Amino acid sequence: MAAAETQVTGSAPREAGQSPAAQGSALLGSASLTDPAISAQPTAYYDAMRALDPVHYDEKLRMYLVSRYEDIQTVQRDPITYSVEHGYKAQYAAGFFEEFQQILERDGQGYFPDAIMSDPPYHTRIRKLMDNAFSAHRVRQLEPLIETIVRETIEGFIDRGECDGVKDFAVPVTIRVICEQLGIDVYDADKIQRWSIAVTQQIGRMQNREQMIANARDICDLQNFLIAHMRDREANPREDMISDLVHARAEGEDNPTLAFGEAVSLVRALMIAGNETTATAMSNMLYILATQPEVAELLKESADDDRLLSRFVEELLRIEPPVRGLSRMTTRPVELGGRSLPEGAHLLLMYASANDQQDVFPCSRTFDMERSNLGRHVSFGGGPHRCIGLSLARMEIRVAAREVIRRMEDFRLTVPAGDLKYLPTVATHSIECLPIAFSKRA
Amino acid sequence: MAMGVTVTFVEEGGAERKFEGVEPSQSLMEVGRTHGVSGILADCGGACACATCHVYVDDAWMEKVGSADAIEAEMLDLVSEFQKPNSRLSCQIRLREELDGLRVEVAPNGY
Repeated sequence: MAAAETQVTGSAPREAGQSPAAQGSALLGSASLTDPAISAQPTAYYDAMRALDPVHYDEKLRMYLVSRYEDIQTVQRDPITYSVEHGYKAQYAAGFFEEFQQILERDGQGYFPDAIMSDPPYHTRIRKLMDNAFSAHRVRQLEPLIETIVRETIEGFIDRGECDGVKDFAVPVTIRVICEQLGIDVYDADKIQRWSIAVTQQIGRMQNREQMIANARDICDLQNFLIAHMRDREANPREDMISDLVHARAEGEDNPTLAFGEAVSLVRALMIAGNETTATAMSNMLYILATQPEVAELLKESADDDRLLSRFVEELLRIEPPVRGLSRMTTRPVELGGRSLPEGAHLLLMYASANDQQDVFPCSRTFDMERSNLGRHVSFGGGPHRCIGLSLARMEIRVAAREVIRRMEDFRLTVPAGDLKYLPTVATHSIECLPIAFSKRA
Repeated sequence: MAMGVTVTFVEEGGAERKFEGVEPSQSLMEVGRTHGVSGILADCGGACACATCHVYVDDAWMEKVGSADAIEAEMLDLVSEFQKPNSRLSCQIRLREELDGLRVEVAPNGY
């Protein structure tokens, strides 16, 4: 985001001559992560937190924002003190939960809490059932399929010389990949995108009641759609992930199979998590190519070298993490980053802030593929909850980057960067619509 | 037979953790994680996707253990600050009788 982030950021006006500390302090005092201007361009807010108040209480969110790299690591390494289950529950449909649950029970065949958003030892059992599906070696076998999907998607718009990077490229690619994996042959991509946003809005903390009701209805549709596929695979197993989950067994465990509600929540999680966040990463890539021509040159030089391409993808994820804030809740009083937290403190881990920390990633706003610690970014989280789909995400982004740079060049935004809209959510940093123009490469 | 194999981890501080009678057919990472070897975090659960089970294989064992394949090498490249010629991800080292006596040093992970 280097280009856009040089603009004045945040709702607190910056007075000429004010010291950086005073500016940062004013920003922290007056602003919330939920303010639209901060939410769209949060870098200065993150900088102020790390410098002045690393575990900052956001009054509007009623959450502690954890902004420093080392504190996020501490939280991720201690899943018992910092509970995902409690943090996620407190975040989910916050403010409207009971009504949300009633809608799901009435029209969506049930409210199925996310089994994966849980704590050990329960989480360990669930995670074991999913780990093998996403190994780097298994995902590598998907490369030709993903390549075909990306190429066909590009063919759909390349002759126009312009496209919406989100709607024409990132979203259709990721939806088709995850539907192929799940074994869903016939689907409406627009609906799936709407469902995805409806689910992620539940941890976004920026929906009002009317939006919650519309989102809950969309999630009912999503569940009814997925459950129909699951019922079919119960009777007719196929080579796909829905069948894998419906028939999953964790050998050696006391309770080796998944309850139906657990399985619904996992299929739903795969559909959504494997889609919205990866699409955001691809949109971010196009945004960077369109605003930093030198990065497009780097990609051109890296496209045919697996090692360089892998580094390109990782630096892209570090500099622009799609997921910016997931929650935890303390299960006991604990000190974090010099602040005493009570039991039940609700935390938001600010991944983009940690990735921006200068003593971990020097010149953090510079796209630098040669960093010797690229793998230390926290865009996939860390600890036992580290993103399970990370290899698939990396592979999709890698193929997208390679195919885009092989076929197109001279990328540019067709609207001012300041006019781009971001989804209203604290959980991700997602461009809603990305109009770009480009030239077709000879 | 059925006696299992012996493997030794040297933790970052120098402490030796020796495990005898280890069931082969699991990965070296699984042994380290089960016994809480410091530095074997294994975030991704053995999917060759996170480089948090990074070890340096004792030179005497390199030939038998073998080198990383292309996918593992890419993952090790992302932690190049700690990468050495004898770097391996322990989740990708499947234990077998031939590796009885294996000795590895746990690599730092930067946090």
